[in-house]
Amino acid sequence: MRQLTSFSRRRFGQGLGASLALVSAPQIARAHGGAHVVTVRMSRFAFLPAGVEIRPGDTVVWTNEDLAPHTATAHDGSWDTGALETATSRRMVFTAPGDFEYFCAFHPHMIGTVAVRPSGGG
Amino acid sequence: MKITTLTLAVAVVATGLAAEAGQPMNDLEIAHTAYTAGGLDIRYAHLALAISENDAVREFAQTMIRDHTAVNDAAGALIAELNVTPKDNDLSRALVEGAAAKRAEFMQLSGAAFDCAYATNELGYHQLVNKTVAEAFIPAVKVAPLKTLLEDALVTFRAHEAHAERMVDGLECAS
Ligand SMILES: [Cu+2]
Repeated sequence: MRQLTSFSRRRFGQGLGASLALVSAPQIARAHGGAHVVTVRMSRFAFLPAGVEIRPGDTVVWTNEDLAPHTATAHDGSWDTGALETATSRRMVFTAPGDFEYFCAFHPHMIGTVAVRPSGGG
Repeated sequence: MKITTLTLAVAVVATGLAAEAGQPMNDLEIAHTAYTAGGLDIRYAHLALAISENDAVREFAQTMIRDHTAVNDAAGALIAELNVTPKDNDLSRALVEGAAAKRAEFMQLSGAAFDCAYATNELGYHQLVNKTVAEAFIPAVKVAPLKTLLEDALVTFRAHEAHAERMVDGLECAS
């Protein structure tokens, strides 16, 4: 939890307010084991929250709240949601640990990170 | 000649959208102009895809087509839902004429000259449209869903303006 908080704050340093960090807090809180689903909003041309930390087997759901289509595309090319039209979602299950930087292929200034960390200690 | 559109549009904005006859633009005229502005940017983008060989310019153009199509689709759906017909007006006509002149100018260009002309125009065009939408259209529009749509569209257009700025910087065009 402690690490996760600083992780979000760093990500939100990109011109977004502290209120958004509060919104992101529940996304990374976890009280028990098992697979979880974390939602990332594509809103006003930003990923919210921009950084999420999950466990292997967890799911991230991207939801596009803008009129313009967006994607969530891994920098290393390992995964890609493809184009998400307005008001649509796509889910991806992450099984392998790793830190995945991603961006919107249509609006490359939109960036985010999915950190897949093995459980234990957290 | 080249600045006719800008001059007229800015003048219209500056005078609170008072047209020649002194009538402020109504919702149907605002809707028409916003839709027209999006359509014109799509046309510029198709020209860019036909002429430019620069990856950054081509990607920008593809994004303009994708995003403005999405915004105009949403506008079309709202217009259908409200069962109204957008109304042509002086500002829409000025935008159309200005863009036709620009396209004719751009068609004479190629390579870096085209890229810089297109990129610079995209920046100026989005700046102008955004100023008009933010300062004139949104405050004036009366129908709530149309106001919401314009606000959502403005978020998109502002992202385009920032994107255009980065494109212009990246091209290092001589000013
Ligand atoms: Cu995007």
